[in-house]
Amino acid sequence: MAAVPLYILLCSGEHEKIHMAAMMASVGAVSERPVEVFVSMNAIMAFARQKPDTNRYRGGAFSDLMKQKNVSDSITLFRQGRELGDLKIWACSMALDVTGWDEDRLESDLFDGALGLTKFLSDAEGGQFITL
Amino acid sequence: MSQRTKIDARGAFCPGPLMELIAGLKLVNIGDEIEVLSSDKGSANDIPEWVKKVHHELVGITQHDGVWSIVVRKAK
Repeated sequence: MAAVPLYILLCSGEHEKIHMAAMMASVGAVSERPVEVFVSMNAIMAFARQKPDTNRYRGGAFSDLMKQKNVSDSITLFRQGRELGDLKIWACSMALDVTGWDEDRLESDLFDGALGLTKFLSDAEGGQFITL
Repeated sequence: MSQRTKIDARGAFCPGPLMELIAGLKLVNIGDEIEVLSSDKGSANDIPEWVKKVHHELVGITQHDGVWSIVVRKAK
């Protein structure tokens, strides 16, 4: 039986939530489960191209712990999911409009493109949907 | 003849050891084995679960001084 696809709507700019999304997306994708991530709102800020690691992620106490203990970088984890599994990552077209960014402002070779929420929700029908 | 490759993932947190194992499996032949060394307790549970789910083979798992040795055979 084919695995139910997983759809993750990532809105939060908090390090903890971005990392949880990266963990779910990468592990799901390498477990023979199609995964799609839609990055919007504050979350898009963490995906700015060549942003210094020191201010890419903002979070609370657990974020500080992850940084102290050198937990793997969230974007690196997303990249591994793409390389090793069936993972697609979309940038919210509304978030790009509001920031005034084009896709070149986002981390390279990470996104499959820009997408509207309507299309993402339509694609997600029948899958498991998680919002962070 | 099958070969065994060792991946030292000590110090990496979940899901790092699993991701290193999967990357390693892409590079070896069917029947070859990979031994993952991990200090992450969660990965010691998660890797066997992943192996079962995607139908590879768990050869064995041992623990010594807080380090798990997890041996996986590529089955497909």
